[in-house]
Amino acid sequence: MLNIAVDEPNTTQLLMGNEAIARGALEAEVGVATAYPGTPSSEIIGTLAAVAKEFNIYAEWSVNEKVALEVAAAASFSGVRAITAMKQLGINVAFDFLANLSLPGTKSGLLLVVCDDPGAISSTNEQDSRHIAKILDLPLLEPATPQEAKEMTKWGFELSEKISNVCLMRSVTRISHARGNVVLGQLRRMSNKAHFDTSRKPYTTIGFGEGAPRYHQALHQNLIKIRELYESSPFNWYIGPERPELLIITCGSGWLYSLEAIEILSLKDSVGILKLGTTWPLPDELVSQYMLKAEKVLIVEETDAFLEGNLKELASEIKPGRTWTFYGKTSGHIPFFGEINPDIVINAVANAFGLKYISRDPEYHQKSQEMVKKYVPPRGVQFCAGCPHRSIFWAIKDALRLDGREGVVTGDIGCYGSAIGPTGFYQLKTMHSMGSGTGVALGLGKLGQFGFNQPVLAPCGDSTFFHAAIPALLDGIHNQSNFIFIFLDNGGTAMTGFQPHPGINRNAMGEPARAIDFKSLCEGLGAPVEVVDSYDIKAITQKLLDMLQDEGGTKVLVCRRECALIRARRKKPLYKVHLVSDKCMGEACGCDRFCIRVFKCPGLIWDRDARKAKIDEAICDGCGVCVDICPHSAIVREAN
Amino acid sequence: MIELKGCQELETKVIKEGLCSLCGACVGMCPYLMVYQGRIVLRDICTISQGRCTAFCPKISVDLESLSQEIFSAPYTWDELGMVQKVFMARSADATVRAKAQDAGVVTALTVFGLEQGFIDSAVLTLFKDKSLPKGVIASSRQKVLECTGSSYMGAPTIEAFNRATQDDGCKNIGVIGTPCQVLALARMRAAPAEMCKNMDRLKLVVGLFCTWALSYVDFAQFLEREVPGHIVKYDVPPHPANVLIAYTEKERIDIPLEKVLPFVKPACSMCSDLTAEFADISVGSGRREVLDWNTVIVRTERGMRLIDAAIKKGVIETRDIPDENLSRLKSASANKKKRALKNIIQKTGSPDNLLYLKTRAEMVKPFLEEWEREGIKDA
Repeated sequence: MLNIAVDEPNTTQLLMGNEAIARGALEAEVGVATAYPGTPSSEIIGTLAAVAKEFNIYAEWSVNEKVALEVAAAASFSGVRAITAMKQLGINVAFDFLANLSLPGTKSGLLLVVCDDPGAISSTNEQDSRHIAKILDLPLLEPATPQEAKEMTKWGFELSEKISNVCLMRSVTRISHARGNVVLGQLRRMSNKAHFDTSRKPYTTIGFGEGAPRYHQALHQNLIKIRELYESSPFNWYIGPERPELLIITCGSGWLYSLEAIEILSLKDSVGILKLGTTWPLPDELVSQYMLKAEKVLIVEETDAFLEGNLKELASEIKPGRTWTFYGKTSGHIPFFGEINPDIVINAVANAFGLKYISRDPEYHQKSQEMVKKYVPPRGVQFCAGCPHRSIFWAIKDALRLDGREGVVTGDIGCYGSAIGPTGFYQLKTMHSMGSGTGVALGLGKLGQFGFNQPVLAPCGDSTFFHAAIPALLDGIHNQSNFIFIFLDNGGTAMTGFQPHPGINRNAMGEPARAIDFKSLCEGLGAPVEVVDSYDIKAITQKLLDMLQDEGGTKVLVCRRECALIRARRKKPLYKVHLVSDKCMGEACGCDRFCIRVFKCPGLIWDRDARKAKIDEAICDGCGVCVDICPHSAIVREAN
Repeated sequence: MIELKGCQELETKVIKEGLCSLCGACVGMCPYLMVYQGRIVLRDICTISQGRCTAFCPKISVDLESLSQEIFSAPYTWDELGMVQKVFMARSADATVRAKAQDAGVVTALTVFGLEQGFIDSAVLTLFKDKSLPKGVIASSRQKVLECTGSSYMGAPTIEAFNRATQDDGCKNIGVIGTPCQVLALARMRAAPAEMCKNMDRLKLVVGLFCTWALSYVDFAQFLEREVPGHIVKYDVPPHPANVLIAYTEKERIDIPLEKVLPFVKPACSMCSDLTAEFADISVGSGRREVLDWNTVIVRTERGMRLIDAAIKKGVIETRDIPDENLSRLKSASANKKKRALKNIIQKTGSPDNLLYLKTRAEMVKPFLEEWEREGIKDA
């Protein structure tokens, strides 16, 4: 049994922040759980999907975040509580619908969890999604611990119902992925009958004389109600002396960092911490009350000066003539970018007190790097051993070099995004949001009238295709843009943990689902489609060279081979791969460590003594592709 | 400045500079360099600074003086025809060979004779089919040699096949039939240290073909697609003043004015100073005027002479003296190619002290330059 499904109220479980959110949803009698996977949010719906049958939940890996929110909204309209989770980039995809949804509002509790990725550990951007709450006049919650994440989730549904609108909850990587003790509450099984009341006013702003401005006005009025609820929220609290010399106002991960900072600096008697869990709209009364106790205020938060800006706005109205010295992002004490950590907070507090604090030896970083170097070889981002993307990008590289017209390869975020670097032979030249490689490719493919004569290739992952590349591909085919769309079919959403997508014959809950046949889809659209094995370098190269000769419109090449990690869970390796040392030319002219240095599969390693390549049997996935690239047939494979 | 290494140097100094004649010497030894659609393609970056590709390339640091010492044990003279033991006219005694050959069939006859008599067991030849890029092949039978008769006037990576042959233990005694740039590449291979170039001792015969220019494959092939319908079985450029390239298809003869074809000449050929394949054992070209049905033959080495003597003795080829006028025309044409190459090189570099790929002292080429100043360049 999963930890989140333990039916023992008042006992303690060690839960990951995202699992705690999922548990909170279970305790809140959630009925529908939807998401498009994205780090650091994926475990929320993944965990709920795993217990969906037990709790009568409908869990879905939606095609994208906008659809995920639409599915959740439908449940809310029909009297079923729903949760949808997404990363910061995902909320941008959902934003269009959210900005419409928020005006006429919702019915049953609808919680939108957005997990920001400060430091962009697993993202192409760094974004503070809290601004969206302010833009759309929606309530915002920010948990500081896994326990609070669970409680806030539960309360978020109630709040949503009280205001008949979406409740936003913002987590960050260090909340979502940290584990902590969580005291469990009562589990509840979804029992409502879903029903859409057609006699009520339609969910839209159009058509009844009121129009969007009236709804907008109502939303603003709603903020007053939310603020009132926030004033007495248990998610806001203060610890510290009656009159602190320095007041830290913080939220989310900043809470524990701040606590740690004043403990380390032994400033418990001088520093107070106002920890806020409800950060938009601000509980003005509560905040003013504590602000008035201090002269100096330090604001600790992740990413943007969201809380800081709102506090300063409030400060200008608390008491005429009263001023504060603010420490935070604007003053340069807390960075505007990257993750924050206890050291940053310690230094900011020390600075406010004029203390000198050296959190660690200034040379520590350099010393540790040097020490680590002795034991750990440098390792860049790379495709796994046996990854089908390696052979595909190898073939793309070869085809474009042979073609010789400086072909442009556009990409998207996904495992294959690594092709921007050495593991994909530096092939990708653009990489932005989901599916944008296809849109950029179609744009390039239409520049012929301005003298553009370079071939254009758009490799696109299967899950990415369904998520956001379909409109661009349709556009390209329709407008006869001259580019090659390369469908990288590896049988799942590999980068975030193999979640199924519409091309897979099972759904989030493991039930049978209808797999969309990509090839027929494209043929239906009228594009020429070829299918090749992703491991067959020769075939891919030749197909690409043939397609490059044809300048008439959008062509589709499907490269099919399941992700090596999915394969390894289910099947034996394809081959036993050996290296015949006598035949290996090593560093000599005619090889120059071709497999190690250029092909770079981590399953191939350099034997420093023999000065030859060899197979790392622990890493080799048995795909056998290296056999086809060795110039002197030194690598051999035997079918398993 | 970043030091260019190995094949990157090749790409920068030869390929991008338009000096590559597609001889094929750099291909077939490593995974980095490939031929595709008449171009040498650098597929990946190699880090070896002194690789075989640059060592063998006939367009990088070519030291004619030391090559001459190596091949002929004699200094390079800058004479019009290079090292000469004997010049004469010859033709294949076999009328069927003559009928199939480009000119008078001497090369075909010598190759078949060399194979049959065991001078060589494998011949590296160039095969063209219709309008496609000609390619190097390894032939060991009369039939295969006869398939390779004729020229398409397109530069071909024939030496790639030689590189394959040196790695094939079935090829113990190899003969190569090639253009001047290909023959120069072979000379560089012979002069290279043994550890660099394995099995060079298998190279038993080099027959060079006179060459004025060669055509770039893609452009010329596209032109042919437009201009010449049907399957081309033979190409010919008859001597001056015909001024045509003739394409014979299975059905007809199509004359293409030379001025339409010359734009496709490889830029490399305008900077090549070698008309008669000076580093071959035997060089063969077409005849002129009243000896149009005969080949011009230059024998340069002892082993070349041995093959010729044996072929004459067995009646495989017939010979006659070269008319004085033909010899002087050949010399003049050869000198003109040298002068034109030097002129084009100096125009490109801006100084007689920088002769691009020719590592030669300025005073060696001075007489040519002076003659060029004095008389200009006359077309043969």
